Amino acid sequence: MDEKWRLLDTGLNDAFYNMALDEAIAIARSKNLVPNTLRFFRWSPSAVSIGYFQSMEEEVDIKACDDLGINYVRRRTGGGAVYHDREGELTYSIIVNEDHRLISRDFQETYRTLCSGLVSGLRRLGVPAEFKPINDIVAQGKKISGNAQTRGMNVVHQHGTILRKVNPTLMFKVLKVPSEKIRDKLIRSVEERVTSINTVLGREVSFKELTDALINGFEDSFGIELAPGSITDFEEELAQRLKVEKYASREWNFRR
Amino acid sequence: MGRAEYKVEGGKLIKVQLTAADGKIRRIKITGDFFLHPEEVIEDIENALEGQILDEHELSSLIENVMKNKQAVSLGVSPEDFARCIIMAGEKNG
Repeated sequence: MDEKWRLLDTGLNDAFYNMALDEAIAIARSKNLVPNTLRFFRWSPSAVSIGYFQSMEEEVDIKACDDLGINYVRRRTGGGAVYHDREGELTYSIIVNEDHRLISRDFQETYRTLCSGLVSGLRRLGVPAEFKPINDIVAQGKKISGNAQTRGMNVVHQHGTILRKVNPTLMFKVLKVPSEKIRDKLIRSVEERVTSINTVLGREVSFKELTDALINGFEDSFGIELAPGSITDFEEELAQRLKVEKYASREWNFRR
Repeated sequence: MGRAEYKVEGGKLIKVQLTAADGKIRRIKITGDFFLHPEEVIEDIENALEGQILDEHELSSLIENVMKNKQAVSLGVSPEDFARCIIMAGEKNG
């Protein structure tokens, strides 16, 4: 029988709760309170997340975000700034014990293995997806997914973004550009380097169709069965606390 | 104050902001889109760099040692890359 993992679809939430819940699940997993978990989620309002080592002031146009009602949050993982559009983007998280057969001591190898679930899911939709080291998935030579990983407490946590449709103009309203003069150039360069599922397939793919394909992809490539489950009280209470004390705090978000 | 950015070929971006006096680092902040595990080690690296002479080779060894002691690993950047970007920022300090 296939090994069982918990499947969560937590739908639309704000950036601070989304990041807090990821950490809460990782902590719950480290205490053996929950099984290995795959979570899908979206962002409402739309948000920008920055990598652990990035500077909020340098990466994000705070005023533009405030004017547009867009959240900004620092992640617990490294990597770059990501614009999470409410309608254009799906995020997933994998929370798995570090001693699991899928996990290598080598981070690069583990990115490849964990991303294989996404690659398989995207191919089911007809997207010619391929893993591109260090931490990207590309289709037709353009980036369609970015991923980031952290480890601690004997748990591996990887989350990543899957672009359903892309909006470079809005992306560069909320992300800082070195100068106004090159904003248009950057927008064009994103159009050349980034793609989306809708663009590749030339049709509108719903979030439901996308998550269904990804679920199958993960089950198949990981050799697991994803059993729909729910968040435990422990995780929910911890997430609410981490949201207030960490992810919604100025101290965390502007620490670098 | 000196600032520099260094994009590692096939890797990630490092940004360094520092103040230096008499050829030594006084304060330093390293940011960027790289990966370093455990993440908190970036603060150990920054603390270890303060007071150090701006010598690329020495800084690279120092960062490597801090990482070794903390059993840290990086992805998309190396101690040499950090050191290189620090020296670039040091040259712009004035």
